[in-house]
Amino acid sequence: MREMPEHTQDSLTARVFEILRDEILSVDSAFTPQTNLVEAGLDSLAVTQLMLSIEESTGVWIDESLLTPENLENAEALAALLHAELEKA
Amino acid sequence: MPGAALSPGRLPLTGADCFLRAFDAEIGRFNAASHISQLVLRLGPGFDVERFRELVNDAVDAQPMLRAAVRRRFGVGAPFYELAGAFRRMRPEVVLHDLEAAPGDAAALPAIFEARLNERRSLRRGELLRFDVVRYAGGEAGSDLAMSWLHQLFDGAGSEHFVRWLNACGRGEQRVDELPQPSEMFPAAPSSKTFGERGDAARRWQSWVDGFGAHPLRSLAGPRRRTPQALGCDLITLDESQTEHAVAEAGRRAGFMTPMLFYMAAAIRAHHAVARARAFDPVSYVVPLPVNVRPRGAEAAIFRTHVSLVWFQVLPEIVDDFDVLIAELKAQRLAAIKAGHIENGIDAMSFARFAPAWLYARMARRASPGELCSFFFAYTGEFLSGESSFLGSKIRNAFHVAPVPASPGSCAAMSLRDGRLNVTHVHQRGVFSDEERSLFDASLRSDLCGGA
Repeated sequence: MREMPEHTQDSLTARVFEILRDEILSVDSAFTPQTNLVEAGLDSLAVTQLMLSIEESTGVWIDESLLTPENLENAEALAALLHAELEKA
Repeated sequence: MPGAALSPGRLPLTGADCFLRAFDAEIGRFNAASHISQLVLRLGPGFDVERFRELVNDAVDAQPMLRAAVRRRFGVGAPFYELAGAFRRMRPEVVLHDLEAAPGDAAALPAIFEARLNERRSLRRGELLRFDVVRYAGGEAGSDLAMSWLHQLFDGAGSEHFVRWLNACGRGEQRVDELPQPSEMFPAAPSSKTFGERGDAARRWQSWVDGFGAHPLRSLAGPRRRTPQALGCDLITLDESQTEHAVAEAGRRAGFMTPMLFYMAAAIRAHHAVARARAFDPVSYVVPLPVNVRPRGAEAAIFRTHVSLVWFQVLPEIVDDFDVLIAELKAQRLAAIKAGHIENGIDAMSFARFAPAWLYARMARRASPGELCSFFFAYTGEFLSGESSFLGSKIRNAFHVAPVPASPGSCAAMSLRDGRLNVTHVHQRGVFSDEERSLFDASLRSDLCGGA
């Protein structure tokens, strides 16, 4: 598991955004934490790979049943879900 | 991309193309046909067949892939598309069939479509594509259009991209001679693995598949039949309220991003309903799920096959509980992704490029007594999303018709179109009795629609 300095909403947004940009999606400079993820090319395989990367990074596994259209709206929304799950853990 | 050393007029087949080429050989031997898929558009009035024919001819003249021969150098080695000289071969046909009236049953498909599904086409002669337009009452009652293609030309997603591109040309938004050439569509992305690493990955994939042999499957068709029999197709279309229910249930029970597991579970249970009625023991259900593996930046790639396979195996004991079955499929999918089997499958299939088709088919069925799997399954999501018409005619419905070899003899392909779920159940004649086809339909509808 990678070291996470703190689990703030902002740091999680930054981390989720990095994973999406660098490992999961093929995106250009127009990709931001507010970009719609499905429109940016997130598909069923990519979302599972994203969850595995997030688990490796934070130790938290987000069950696919929690991945609603609202939670996958953009990196910010996904980070908010992750933050809530970390609070529970 | 493997095969980069080929001459400019030659393009290598992908590993998945070669994997499907094994099926082509299999279907040729046991169905007396080729491995032909169809994309069907059911169109409203006013479809201009001549304009469509001109558009197809222009596209074919601009794009050699559409009639490229598939060959091997000196009859051995990895196969390739012979692009040079493709323009000398016959253009794909656009055949018009006039009927006086549309069929009374909305689920009935024209007989000519089924006949095309059972044709023999030649890879070596570049007979990759053809079109049939069935026009009702001179077009006033609408038309049905079938694009039939050998699987070495497109996969399902590629075929939709091609139709979308033709449509854009028809609207004047694209130029017909600007369809990217195949070599431009796939930027070189050589595997970072060594040959040995790819071999290890392929062995892990084969070992995974071999593991299913602990509970060797029996399909409803049984081991390969020696008498060639034609494929038939049943179309099941849910109405809007039924589909709304099915989509909501798929999201709730399997996950918003992985609804295909809900649909696959329903398809397993439909086959199980038939098995139970026959008092037939399937031992286990082994089902491959095609996964789109287009490289980054090539999501709209049209030509060649870009899939890997995730395999599932479930025992009949858990099939009765729908939620337990879905949970098992979810767990197996996650385990397969974690184990890297999607990538391993790509490596394994890349070795198929060098093997004769019969050898690969033999390897594929090594884990079972002469069978490939329990049935074929595909879920391709929204069909031609955003395209409400085709060359000016309203698209009333649209779906894929996928072929299946003599064993397993059954294939369920699902997709959504305009808020309706289509299921095309392709089966080898004789595998399902009429009563069993009704039972299959009823089981599927019951699981998908619930009380809707």
